[in-house]
Amino acid sequence: MSRTLGLCVTSDKHLDNVIGLASAAANKDVDLRIFFTGRSVLLTQEERFKNLVGLGKLYVCDVSFRANGLEGREVPGVGFKEFVTQARNAEMIEECDRYLVM
Amino acid sequence: MHTLHILRTEPDQTTTELLELVAEPEEKRVRLYSGDVDWDQLVEDIFVADKVISWW
Amino acid sequence: MKKIAVLVKDPHQQYEALRTSLGALLEMAEVSMFVLDHEIADMDEAYSENMEFLDEMEGLRFSNNQVNVDRYGFQPANLAEIGDKIRESDIVIPF
Repeated sequence: MSRTLGLCVTSDKHLDNVIGLASAAANKDVDLRIFFTGRSVLLTQEERFKNLVGLGKLYVCDVSFRANGLEGREVPGVGFKEFVTQARNAEMIEECDRYLVM
Repeated sequence: MHTLHILRTEPDQTTTELLELVAEPEEKRVRLYSGDVDWDQLVEDIFVADKVISWW
Repeated sequence: MKKIAVLVKDPHQQYEALRTSLGALLEMAEVSMFVLDHEIADMDEAYSENMEFLDEMEGLRFSNNQVNVDRYGFQPANLAEIGDKIRESDIVIPF
């Protein structure tokens, strides 16, 4: 049975850490979910963000995305259904074997 | 209880005090700000630990 | 039911931390929010309403800042007490 890891990204300062951990987890077949909230939604507009596509399910807090003036911008690997509320983050806490903030 | 402490930035006074307060004999600390991180090992550590705290 | 400690040190993320606490409460988690060091930076209508909602949902909120205790009804907690709560928690979410 695969291991599940939930990452909640709250800061816009640690994209390299997120990519490093997510890449290593994906290589080990960890079922990965990443939730971007608060100022971390700004990371979705960085070139390196696309390195996360395909490593796991990516979710973006819709309220934070709008609050940071990004409404209408596209995000690689994140479709309409992946713009979510804090409820998705709470579900991740419940359903993942491990959950941590990056 | 084996706790994995992940430190994203160098601890300030509040974080240092909290780390001291929750310290246990069986724990591991990984400093991401050191710039020399073994990500494969960290993934294993995350799942081996009973509890993971990723500090500021 | 998981015990969650939300630690709020960054004054710019106080509202975000409150929203995260509420989200976890709605998922039936046991949530304690700790505002560390700083006074609530922007007690606007949105923060105030969500704080009341947190109280109604039986979420707990603590602070080691006396102004937050006196003015906004946070329960007082020093760092040693907050450390105990962190030990008891399954999940720790720092902001």
